[in-house]
Amino acid sequence: MIVYPASLDAIEVDALQTDRYLDALLSAVDRRAYDVPADPAVDPTLRLAARRLRDELVRTHPSFRFEERLARRLADAAARMRLAAATGGEAEAAIVPFPTPLLADPSLAAELANPELALLLGARYAAVASGDVARGPSLAATAAASALAGGTPSPFRPVVARPLLVGGALTSAALSLVGAAFVAWRLTRGAPTDPMAATTAVDAALGQRRLA
Amino acid sequence: MTIGSAGRVVPLDPDRSLVRAAQADPAHFDPLYRKYLAQVYNFAHHELGDHHEAEDVTERTFMLALGALPRFRESAPDDAPPEASTFRVWLFRIARNVIANHRRALRRRPTAPLQTAAGVAGPEDVEGRAVARADASAAWAAVRRLPGDRRRAVVLRFVDEMSTAEIAGVLERSEGAVRVLLHRALRSVARELSAAEADDGSRAGDVRRDAGRHRDSR
Repeated sequence: MIVYPASLDAIEVDALQTDRYLDALLSAVDRRAYDVPADPAVDPTLRLAARRLRDELVRTHPSFRFEERLARRLADAAARMRLAAATGGEAEAAIVPFPTPLLADPSLAAELANPELALLLGARYAAVASGDVARGPSLAATAAASALAGGTPSPFRPVVARPLLVGGALTSAALSLVGAAFVAWRLTRGAPTDPMAATTAVDAALGQRRLA
Repeated sequence: MTIGSAGRVVPLDPDRSLVRAAQADPAHFDPLYRKYLAQVYNFAHHELGDHHEAEDVTERTFMLALGALPRFRESAPDDAPPEASTFRVWLFRIARNVIANHRRALRRRPTAPLQTAAGVAGPEDVEGRAVARADASAAWAAVRRLPGDRRRAVVLRFVDEMSTAEIAGVLERSEGAVRVLLHRALRSVARELSAAEADDGSRAGDVRRDAGRHRDSR
């Protein structure tokens, strides 16, 4: 006899007994047993219903054509993800992170209108999918701020602009400006002051004195 | 088994190595896809009752799972059941939400397949014939009439052979709540089956009485 905790209601005790019976019934299939010993604690009509659900269950498999078509689609998507990851790896200095290309498909992006699903998939900018694509740049700015603040960018944010190119151009322009400023600074500083140059100058002066 | 952050014993995800390989390189997602294709498809099929729609939902589920896989972490809140953080539970939670989206879309744009109008499955429609066979089962017909989470709990328990803890993870409820859901669902099915049998019995009695009356009148 099983003693159940006193804190359980009658329905919870019944539910526990039913769950135990279902465990035994469903594992009987794995053991190739026809049935399990009847548990008198479980209502016989309930046991009959469970047995009928098990015996009359029809499992179907999707067609081979569908399985292979989806496998190809997933392989293509995986290849695009690898490419995007490789591109993103080379451009770590970019201002706006590169989005995962899967959600270029608007029907998949539309799934994120469901906030629960968006949360489950780790998508923080689900508002884009619910029709705010026109407001992409402002959301991109939010994403950039998040990325700069150390937050991980979401792979499910369909940014409409070409942030990598823009980021690259800005970076190279900034480098050019810094380079020009450095050259100008060096030109205004006069002679170099490194020890090698100083040694050469002293050596030349001593040589001239010796000749004199 | 391993000890979680809150000192709880957490069972290891049997798919951990496959998941890590796919996270490192998305090209390795294929074994996970092959392993769970039929399970996700059957869940969608029992939920929607149409194999074209089930295929559509299955496709979306796997595409979304592939896209979000780098962000999948085996972690669940402390009050969640210990099996709530496995890849299978995560995948089925995606499927459940995609099905919910699909139902909402169907409500906005109600459609009916041609076979429904004809009332029969096409000769090439193997899946349609399977559905028709399942429809013939009074027990599963009763399951289809159950309200949302009760129906889903029965489908996940019988069709996908999930444990109560896994179902709790998918439905985002406590294990106790899932057990009560299953118990009530089975009671509803049992009640419907008993009513149908009583109905059949009384109809058979009527037929016997009619036959007797017919003999007497001759």
